[in-house]
Amino acid sequence: MTSFVERPRSACALSGALSTISALPGVIPIVHASMGCGGNLSGANAFGAGYWGAGYCGGGSIPTSAITETEIVFGGNDRLREEIASTLELIDGELYVVATGCMTEMIGDDTRGVTADFDGKPVIAVSTPSFKGDSYAGYEIALDGIFNDYLRHTEKKNAKLVNIFGIVPAYDPFFRGDLEEIARLIRALGLEANTFFTPDQTFGNVRSASSAALNVVFSRVWGTSFAERFEKTHGTPFWTTELPVGPEATDEFLLRLAERMKVPKQRAKNLIERENGVYYGYFERTADVFCDSDFKFYAVTVTNSNYAIPVARYAERELGWAVLDSFVTDQLDESQKGSLLAAYDASGLHSGLLFETDSSRVAAAITQRHPQNRGELYFNGPDPLFILGSSLEKATAQRRGANQLSISFPAFNRMIVDRGYAGYRGGLHLFEDIVGSLVFPKG
Amino acid sequence: MSFYDAAIPPVRDQRLKIGDSFAGSVCEMLDCAKSGCMLRRNRSFWQTGACQMALTLMMAATVERSAIVMHGPIGCGAQLHALSAQTNKGKAQRGKQPVPPPWVSTNLKESDVIGGGERKLRETIEYVDREFRPEIIFVVSTCAPNIIGDDVEDIVRKAGESAAAHVVSLHCPGFKSRVVASAYDAFYHGLLRHLPLSPEPWRDFVPHHDGAAEELGKLKYEYIRGRTVNIWNATSIGPKDEDELIRLLGALGLKARVFAEYASADEMRMVSQAALNASMCDVHDDYMLSFLKEKFGTPYVMAGMPIGFKGTRRWLEAIASRFGLEEDAGRVADYEERRAREAIAPFLPEIEGKRVLLCGGVVRVGTEAVFLKELGMDVISFRAYHYDDGAEEVYGQVAEEFPDARIAVSNQLFEFCNQIKELAPDLVISHNGTQGTLAKLGVTGVQLFDADKSFFGYGGLFYMLRRIVFAFRNTSYQKRLSARVKMPYRDSWYEKDAFHYIKD
Repeated sequence: MTSFVERPRSACALSGALSTISALPGVIPIVHASMGCGGNLSGANAFGAGYWGAGYCGGGSIPTSAITETEIVFGGNDRLREEIASTLELIDGELYVVATGCMTEMIGDDTRGVTADFDGKPVIAVSTPSFKGDSYAGYEIALDGIFNDYLRHTEKKNAKLVNIFGIVPAYDPFFRGDLEEIARLIRALGLEANTFFTPDQTFGNVRSASSAALNVVFSRVWGTSFAERFEKTHGTPFWTTELPVGPEATDEFLLRLAERMKVPKQRAKNLIERENGVYYGYFERTADVFCDSDFKFYAVTVTNSNYAIPVARYAERELGWAVLDSFVTDQLDESQKGSLLAAYDASGLHSGLLFETDSSRVAAAITQRHPQNRGELYFNGPDPLFILGSSLEKATAQRRGANQLSISFPAFNRMIVDRGYAGYRGGLHLFEDIVGSLVFPKG
Repeated sequence: MSFYDAAIPPVRDQRLKIGDSFAGSVCEMLDCAKSGCMLRRNRSFWQTGACQMALTLMMAATVERSAIVMHGPIGCGAQLHALSAQTNKGKAQRGKQPVPPPWVSTNLKESDVIGGGERKLRETIEYVDREFRPEIIFVVSTCAPNIIGDDVEDIVRKAGESAAAHVVSLHCPGFKSRVVASAYDAFYHGLLRHLPLSPEPWRDFVPHHDGAAEELGKLKYEYIRGRTVNIWNATSIGPKDEDELIRLLGALGLKARVFAEYASADEMRMVSQAALNASMCDVHDDYMLSFLKEKFGTPYVMAGMPIGFKGTRRWLEAIASRFGLEEDAGRVADYEERRAREAIAPFLPEIEGKRVLLCGGVVRVGTEAVFLKELGMDVISFRAYHYDDGAEEVYGQVAEEFPDARIAVSNQLFEFCNQIKELAPDLVISHNGTQGTLAKLGVTGVQLFDADKSFFGYGGLFYMLRRIVFAFRNTSYQKRLSARVKMPYRDSWYEKDAFHYIKD
């Protein structure tokens, strides 16, 4: 039996599907559930991800069957059919994706049957009841429906085209900035990139996905099984790796990508040289405040599985911090934990990877594992401490006088627009935000 | 059996004449509600909104030293992260500890949906009681357990016997009603069934013996109790509004206390110790106030919202009349109005004749419209998120003030967008959650409510007017934004009637 979760950092499959669908250009969600599901869930995403917002057809604009007790008793197929017909008439989109809530799955509505009635119209259904999985699962289910079921297979492949997956809209709150930087670097290698979820993309990018030469999945956990099915359906191989944050990780990433995509090694080396020149051109000037202020910290990270290794690596390798623990807060099964642990072991990092979904248990574990000084003269403890976590860690940090930066969902105490932490530019941004939070009280 | 004895509260659709899909004149709306045609109305296109669970949580998350158990799958309660941040601020503003409520999801999975979630709920309540030691555990029963038939009330009752906390069930499955106002009843139903609402001897008072001193003490207590008014707030009502009403009632020699949001279990035990309950919104509190009348004999007043000159005077006088203080109330209102009229005079020319569209809670938009007319603005149309019997009296007045006005009972953005294109208002005063849409459409918007700002009474009317004037001061943001943003509706939608998708 699964257990309860205290202040979970992800919601249900429908929630992840909604943030995914509404972040795709030209793709319109239709929620087959009661009136509140779409509004409540997209509201939580719109605010929790650094005030990401509702977007083109999110939030209160999302079409819904808004089923009531009548449909619970008599079935909701007719209501859904009516809603889809109205949506096609009213809402301007290229693809319409019906996502189900728990109640319509429990009463056994034939959602796929209903969408099949709209033959010739771009309407598909994905099954995203809340009891099937959390938001991350919903991301994969939505991707599966759109890229594996809806997209046509094509024999024509574009040897230069790379699709980027694994970065989850909203639940990776810096997804847009991260995607932009990764795409910038891929393009700088002379390749092409589909990010799908950034404002520069169109539905044409979704359509072209099946012709890609490679899928890069920046997650050890989320998107891997989707990418496997993608390979079976479209023949595009995939590569799973960490999101590179900071120059060392990004150098490695570019060399490995160049190898996979048969880009001449020298071209990758030239790019690395150029990018490091820019990075250190900026970074070198920061050394004065960083070193004179003695901004050397013990660190604890509290993030989802996607950010755990990249952020710990950045803090340990680029900042020279002592990362004590890396808490992973998503709900993972044993095999998912295994994949992440394997990647962690291979990373050569020195913190420990800990799995904890409950927010107050994370707080308790930080306190128990790393006691704070309560006035001892000779206190051998982790001081000063910096917690790289979410808004939920703010109180923990304040209680013990530690520093904190929200880099994980939910992040309510900052605005996130095009900022990302991936790559070289992202490494500078992360540095800027960390040191920015430290110097903020000065002025 | 009365509703109050039932384990699960009724939704408003079962209790009142109610509707969420209508367009016509105010008189037609009142007729449609009376004849029951309002109940039948529906749409062939819907956009998402909230559910009664969402608003129940808004209320529950305000209660000090409470914890919330979300009985449902993992997604229900996702908004609690944002809500806690908001209620933390509300607590701090009211001098209470800004500690977010711990909340735990029973995380129902496929196997629970098949096998039932009762054991998990029991274990979760036990864990929360043990781990967080809250005063109150709110157990929120969502859609899934109501479909699979978990006996939540039985578990809550039994848990309440062994837990240190008061265990309070909040039955609010979203599918039961599209009208979210049922949330207020769901929250109150939990309070009135599971929380002590009378003072406890040896905790709140020492039981007295006979004797002159005790007699005097009792008389003193009864004197104060006889001048104590409970005023009932709502999520849209902030501490500044509460303070303004406490100030005005104080001028009449009445002691006002605020319930039920932000009240702790200790404060709730005192709810019965008042001479009068006064609502601040006619569709918010009737369920609780009639219960308190039935149970403790406390009379209640529902006299609209204290907004604008007429609204505030009516609200004050209705309360004062229960204490024989009508004349005093009239004098207080006269004095306050004189001061307020002086303060607003310089601003009035700037807004005179501006065309306003109003959108939000049914009682609020009606009352606000009367106020805007007082200011010399031209209210061209109303949108009310729902209609139920509670709004009848307010709309009787609205019909008199605005005999030709069109009203839509609608919380739907697509209809809103269509109306804005058609009516081209100078200003839209609208419910929270719509302001971004207004800016994308290029229109100037002002919040209909904002718990951080003043709206009620005389201070409120001045600051509301200032905000309206300020909104017109620079409209560049919405002009620039709207020039570049595409809305999701096809062009053909704007050629249709805004209420094309409403059906009988």
